[in-house]
Amino acid sequence: MLTGQITSAILGIALAGAILFLVRRDHLHGPYAVWWFVIAAATFLLGVFPRIVIWLGHQTGIFYAPVLPIIIGLSLVLIRLLKLDVDRSKQERRIRRLTQKLAILEQELTRLGGNPPAEAPGDDEDS
Amino acid sequence: MTHERRETGHGYIGLPHPYTERAPERDHGSLRPARRGAPVGTAALTSSGTMRRIAVPFATPAPVTARPPALRAADCLAVIPARDEAATVGAVVAGVREALGCAVLVVDDASHDETGAAARAAGAQSLRLSFGLGAWGATQTGIRYAQRNGYAGVITLDADGQHEPASLPALFEAQQRTAANVVIGTCVGRLSRAKRVAWLYLRGLTGLRLTDFTSGLRLYDAQAVAILAGPEASLLDYQDVGVLMLLAKNGLRIDETPVPMLPRREGHSRVFASWPVVARYMMHTTVLCLAQIDAGRRKEKVLQEGCSAC
Repeated sequence: MLTGQITSAILGIALAGAILFLVRRDHLHGPYAVWWFVIAAATFLLGVFPRIVIWLGHQTGIFYAPVLPIIIGLSLVLIRLLKLDVDRSKQERRIRRLTQKLAILEQELTRLGGNPPAEAPGDDEDS
Repeated sequence: MTHERRETGHGYIGLPHPYTERAPERDHGSLRPARRGAPVGTAALTSSGTMRRIAVPFATPAPVTARPPALRAADCLAVIPARDEAATVGAVVAGVREALGCAVLVVDDASHDETGAAARAAGAQSLRLSFGLGAWGATQTGIRYAQRNGYAGVITLDADGQHEPASLPALFEAQQRTAANVVIGTCVGRLSRAKRVAWLYLRGLTGLRLTDFTSGLRLYDAQAVAILAGPEASLLDYQDVGVLMLLAKNGLRIDETPVPMLPRREGHSRVFASWPVVARYMMHTTVLCLAQIDAGRRKEKVLQEGCSAC
């Protein structure tokens, strides 16, 4: 029991520490940082005090309590993925509209007498 | 909880435009679309002295089911999305200019050949997208350009030469006759059996009574242009069902007119290229339709209400 608790505590603290490190280094911006901060706190608590899981299992009526963190974890991952795709769609829309605007403005620049340097075809493609 | 600013789609046209020297239309419900050099209409609202020439001033935004004015080809912009079509685009531009006498805009969808130069040599304006946005992304660029520059409508056609320039005026005649907001040029004879089955399926799914969903030959009036220039249309990947559903959802009238079509001289259909592509397209479209399943039917309801009112 004791060794198990040590293992889970080490895992929880390591994960929370890694997340905190990344948040503090500004690798995650605003809302993402908040989300991951909460996750870090949760892994820390559950790692150090695994009895919370058993208590939670009792409260929610789940017979096999250890499955509870797995269910919660998977749900959170799914929610996170969904949010990621929503954000990506939003960004895609913005990129498309900016690309269109850029083309229109370039044409207007030329029409106004500007002489933008010629670019090789496919210049902006990253592939 | 991201900090987002909704793009309005029209934010940048708030200032008077340097080329037309008047503020572009912002009232989407207006019956009188921006018209270049038109003697009456919107221009009258911004300059004094011509107010009396407005036939029927609308105090409130007119219902979208009301009859829009007939489009004149010379007030419209022909938009030709083109990707690697340098071989044919010149002839297409020349044909359109001869048939309609309107301004032509070729949207170069990040071609790897000299499509843009060929278009300019034939007398068209050209826009160049930094990277490929697909046929609809390129078309929407042209539509946004038309809105920004105050054109009364947009006619779109393919750059591969499959649309006969001589048949273009037929779309304007159909628009005049039916007062539709959107006219699609259809060649029924061209449809293969696979396409017929696909369209039957889509007709059932969308509730839109059309025979050809993917035809690139279309005429949009100012109301349709205002809707299609917006951000809501920017995430669509194909110009067909999603675009038509969006227009139907906004209560616009869509009509078809048969036109003769030539076989493609170069290139091939982007949608009906191979079976995996078709499968992906059908799946994509099905999801799109399921998300907006009531759009086409709502349109019919709106039209019926319009009829019972008059």
